[in-house]
Amino acid sequence: MSRIELLAAALSRKRASFSKGWYKYSRNPLSILGLTILCLIILAAVFAPYITPYPEHAGAFTNFRESSQPPNPTYFFGTDTVGRDVFTRVIFGYRFSLVLAVVVLSLSIPPGVIMGLIAGYFQGTRIEIAIMRITDIFLAVPPLVLALAITVMLSPNLFNQMMAISLMWWPWYSRLVYSITTSLRHEYFVREAELTGASKLHILLREILPNCAAPILTKMSLDAGFVITVGASLSFLGLGVQPPKPGLGTMVADGAKRLPAEWWMAVFPAIAIVMVILAFNLVGDGLRDMFAVEEV
Amino acid sequence: MGKYIIQRLLQSIVVLFGLSLLIFFIARVMPGNPARVALGSLATKEQVEKLTKEMHLDKPFPVQYYFWLKSILRGDLGKSWYTRRPVTTDLKAYIPATLELILFSFLISLVIGQVMGVLAGYFRNSWFDGLSRLISYIGVAAPAFVVAIFFLLTFTYILNLTPAVGRLSLGATPPPQLTSFIILDSLLAGRFDITLQALKHIVLPAASLALANIAQEGRITRTSISENLQKDYVTAHIVYGIPTRSTIFKYLLRPSLIPTVSVMGLAFAYQLTNAFLVEVVFMWPGFSRYAVTVMLNKDLNAIVAVVLVIGIAFSIVNIIVDIVVSFLDPRVRLQK
Amino acid sequence: MIPLLEIRDLHVRFKIFEGELKVLNGVDMVIGEGEKVGLVGETGCGKTTTMKSVLHVLPIPPAKISGGEILYRGKDILKMKPGEIRRLRKGEMSAIFQDPLAALNPVFTVGHQLRDVIKYSLITQGRENLSKEEISAQSITVLKETGMPDSERILSNYPIQLSGGMRQRVCISEALSAAAKLLMADEPTTNLDVTIQAQILRQLNELVEKRRISILLISHSLGVVRKVTERVYIMYAGNVVETARTKDLFADPLHPYTKALLKSVPKLTGEGISQGIRGRIPNYLNPPSGCRFHPRCDHAMPMCEGERPAAFIVGDNHTVACFLYKR
Repeated sequence: MSRIELLAAALSRKRASFSKGWYKYSRNPLSILGLTILCLIILAAVFAPYITPYPEHAGAFTNFRESSQPPNPTYFFGTDTVGRDVFTRVIFGYRFSLVLAVVVLSLSIPPGVIMGLIAGYFQGTRIEIAIMRITDIFLAVPPLVLALAITVMLSPNLFNQMMAISLMWWPWYSRLVYSITTSLRHEYFVREAELTGASKLHILLREILPNCAAPILTKMSLDAGFVITVGASLSFLGLGVQPPKPGLGTMVADGAKRLPAEWWMAVFPAIAIVMVILAFNLVGDGLRDMFAVEEV
Repeated sequence: MGKYIIQRLLQSIVVLFGLSLLIFFIARVMPGNPARVALGSLATKEQVEKLTKEMHLDKPFPVQYYFWLKSILRGDLGKSWYTRRPVTTDLKAYIPATLELILFSFLISLVIGQVMGVLAGYFRNSWFDGLSRLISYIGVAAPAFVVAIFFLLTFTYILNLTPAVGRLSLGATPPPQLTSFIILDSLLAGRFDITLQALKHIVLPAASLALANIAQEGRITRTSISENLQKDYVTAHIVYGIPTRSTIFKYLLRPSLIPTVSVMGLAFAYQLTNAFLVEVVFMWPGFSRYAVTVMLNKDLNAIVAVVLVIGIAFSIVNIIVDIVVSFLDPRVRLQK
Repeated sequence: MIPLLEIRDLHVRFKIFEGELKVLNGVDMVIGEGEKVGLVGETGCGKTTTMKSVLHVLPIPPAKISGGEILYRGKDILKMKPGEIRRLRKGEMSAIFQDPLAALNPVFTVGHQLRDVIKYSLITQGRENLSKEEISAQSITVLKETGMPDSERILSNYPIQLSGGMRQRVCISEALSAAAKLLMADEPTTNLDVTIQAQILRQLNELVEKRRISILLISHSLGVVRKVTERVYIMYAGNVVETARTKDLFADPLHPYTKALLKSVPKLTGEGISQGIRGRIPNYLNPPSGCRFHPRCDHAMPMCEGERPAAFIVGDNHTVACFLYKR
């Protein structure tokens, strides 16, 4: 067969497995719901300046005449204490949450995975012991605590928050990849690759890593929700997004002071947080179902 | 079994040691002179220098660590610059409050979570199952402070059922402090009105904390039970005539509990962190709120102590979980 | 004389996303009292489904019994109320499963489980008053009968501590204690070492004869069935394709599938490499029409595609479901 034919065959296999994967994913209506919500949120966040009624409210804006209004046709979610449209700020707030999730995961997954691969492959050596001990230490402390401690040491803002959370996120991935690698380490296909002289790099990247792909992807999407939770919690405590920027957790914190009379200031951002986390969770569940091997 | 425990204890000590090193390193390496921060911007240069010497900040890093370790082992965690009290006093004051909260919430989540999970797992795809899955999804998706706020809104402000803040209402006299657990103390002292009040105050925060756990546990138990229902030994039992009642509550529950208990270690960690948020919302005078406050105020000694306490608590819980699991599951025991 | 068990035209379907798996396509079977009957077929041909249908432990849904009757001593199980079925199961029917490790609860000792089975079977027989010691004693006795050395010590172990053969012996004890008149053994030796297989089979044979229990021995191995059974059913893709007395079947196999099965067992004398059967087992979503074997059959005729062959009688207790033998 010519190279073109081989390539076409490979691509159509890819397409076939993609559509089979999609078929399995779409079995569960909840997964579709999650994906829909997530897409809507992402689109809303990306096009925030264009679709929100008062984009200038997402920042230092004051309009005391219109402050503290309950939800009405002009301001869908009402206005806050200085007259800003809550709806607009919520949409802009999604930007921070999504950026947080993307940055943290991009920063923490690659090192975590690499460490896990190395530790798992070089079992029984000092490298493994060293890496896993470090991982254990980071895992010994609940996530929020460490992030809290670190953020506090530096000045509280979104950037530092992202750094802090990334720092304590990678151990989870290294542990996940470590356990998969150790279980695969002695499988035949790895031994064969070793015997036929494949370089360690090849083995790690081409043989073991693909087997980790599915759990990593699933965990990633569930983690996105969790990272946002941590971020919102930190912001709620005043350590994340600082006013006047519209972080969702920050808004809930401000709104909480106004309960119960001006409930909309806290309730809508709170619901928004739940929505995005829920969406990520549903998508994560769907991915897990998709990757699960079907048994008849 | 004993050997196993000792092994784990040693492991934990090593980990804690590493943790203390890490925290200490971070604390000392961060920008800013802690002494200056402690004294405030109005302090004079001499005062700062004096304090710097006192805090051994001028010595090289390993020496600092050594001094610090020495005082820790003596039980002296230093003084909190924020509260101006020895850190140990602060800890003694605040830990019981949080402990009470966490224990109560664990109780709630265990009972409700297990029952919900077992019923949902057995009656798969019924309306009950659907409802419990809905609760699970929301419980997992909503951060604790969101849950806390909603509960506060609904039960306190709308329904007017529970009080808003604190462990006891204003003006109430707390019972004599035997255990520092107000509920226990008031029971022991016969002050049932205080017990009732304390219970009313603790319900909402504990429930807020518990929801995430209920969601998690319910899900795990449900999956565990419905998976185990498919197992051959269940079919075998049915065929051999063992009544279903016995099958579920005796033979299924134990293997199904195993994943739940394993997760409890993690769950405890989440409880600790979520306790921060709930305590802030409900103004509960607990350890977590203290932790947040000292962190926000860059109170070095307190921060280090707080992180250490959490690390210790976490390690202990993990060891307990491991022991319970190995008790429940002979496979783990026998493979060691 | 009414046979102990009679299955007439049993149809079972499994519902999955893409449609329905038509697993059992009209199974007929008869087992008399005290008879030793074998059921042979490839993995996935429906043997276990048949057994589970009789025991009424099919997962319904997604399974569905869409037709046929299962008569136990003349009464249709499928029409019985759940209470009746339970009584039947407890007192009369029993089963041994393929993987003894899966059939035993991993977190309880084998003794605990065996004693429970004995306790509840005694209750069924109306003898509730046996003391704990008597139940223990009985558990040791029944385990000894299966040829287990050192029964007392074994009972205090967990399943994971025992070898495959020991576990299966425990399962056999459990099955026998459930006071069966009918024992269904699903691949009881498949997961065991070859050396132990022979032992277990022999012990099973002895026990079954001694207690005069009927046994349905399910296996994909002809060799296993040959040793123990008096009559054999050969099953393919949800249908019984041939049945005869065991020695008749081995002496004179008639159905193309049976012949191919016998041929595919490699000979110890080393003549030639065994021929597999070409093709694959059918897709139960869209099974072949008519005789389900026809796509793989060397003697297929046009009518084989049209309708399903009935079981044609070709001899004493020997029937074949194949148009080649149509009278």
